[in-house]
Amino acid sequence: MKSEQTDFEREIAQLLVSSLNLALDPVSIDPEAPLFREGLGLDSIDMLEIALAISQHYGIQMRSDDPENATIFASLRTLAAAIKARRA
Amino acid sequence: MAEAWFEKRERGSGWGLRIGRTLALALGRRAGRALLWPITAYFFCFLREGRVGLRRYYEALEGHPPSVAALFAHYLTFARTILDRAYLLARHPDAPPYDIRGFEAVSPFLGQGRGAVLLGAHLGSFDAARAAASLRPDLKVQVIMNVGVSRKLNEALRVLDPGAQDSILSLGGAASLLRVKEILADGGLVGLMGDRPLGGELTYEAEFLGRMARFPLGPLRLAATLQVPVFFFTALYRKAASGACRYELVFEPLCGPAPEVALRGEWMRRLGERYVDTLQAYCRAAPDNWFNFYDFWQAQDVGPPRRATPGDGGPGRVGGRAPMERSDAPRDVGARGER
Repeated sequence: MKSEQTDFEREIAQLLVSSLNLALDPVSIDPEAPLFREGLGLDSIDMLEIALAISQHYGIQMRSDDPENATIFASLRTLAAAIKARRA
Repeated sequence: MAEAWFEKRERGSGWGLRIGRTLALALGRRAGRALLWPITAYFFCFLREGRVGLRRYYEALEGHPPSVAALFAHYLTFARTILDRAYLLARHPDAPPYDIRGFEAVSPFLGQGRGAVLLGAHLGSFDAARAAASLRPDLKVQVIMNVGVSRKLNEALRVLDPGAQDSILSLGGAASLLRVKEILADGGLVGLMGDRPLGGELTYEAEFLGRMARFPLGPLRLAATLQVPVFFFTALYRKAASGACRYELVFEPLCGPAPEVALRGEWMRRLGERYVDTLQAYCRAAPDNWFNFYDFWQAQDVGPPRRATPGDGGPGRVGGRAPMERSDAPRDVGARGER
């Protein structure tokens, strides 16, 4: 059962799709599905692209030494939550 | 560099290297080079795969099979660059001299929050370059390697050069790529190898020395994402008729920073073409610097990239990337982003 996107998650989904130029409807991204490998099939270079887009749009710097990197980029939901928390 | 070959030689033991390094530094380069003859002869006789791979290389390069003497000389060149690592990295008085060519094109991008990517190959000695860079404290150079492939090599470098870990970054997860961005933001240089695809990696096809070969797409994608200028880089081992040798560090502009994401496909295609053309030109200029000791053309036909298996790429990839994942798609760099 696919979970529904919140408004903010939809905004981040749109950012993912535009920054990676994915041939994909942002609304169709399951917020709880893994972004990498078996989920959306993204890899570490895509993740860098996303991190750069996020810092450009929201002014949040993702750091290489952040121990939470793996959890932040787990899914659309965790990513949106992390951006929200850091922006606040 | 030739990690695979290097790993075969090493078989996991750092001891041989430690002893070798100590001997080499204590005896000096002349004695070290004399010792290379029996050592090289041993590997020449017992590593058949390397000989076969080199033969294919020379056939492609010169149109006819090489003589046994030429093959052996090639092995010896590789062994000499390995030996020179010890002197270069230890800043030993016997360290061979080097010239730098084309760096003036790179230097404007240093230290102004921009940086540049150096796209290299298993051609010549990356260590000659790292040693040169270590003499310039204002220069930040980071070489990226793939974790799986280079674990043994990293171990070896730790023995040869305890400071190496600071300038060599293993390409593992996404965090290491964020680190790359930070280095570039500091105005540093990031070195990537663009010639050797790993199993399961996305590749593109290009004509190399007259035959189609596969090259890894990852370095081009990473360079595109980083949006910094890209230079071809190599440190060639050059021998004069007198027997004296020196290293020649070469920087050659390939592409300016990548454009916005929708236009990257064309940019990557151009970068791939220029990279392969430049690599080819330097192979012709210094044939014995080619340190891919396997059949470069055939090895890459083994199986399609991992992500080409149905369903593995995920639903979003169908329109984005699929064409270049298929091994039957010719010269299809950067299909992504053009739809």
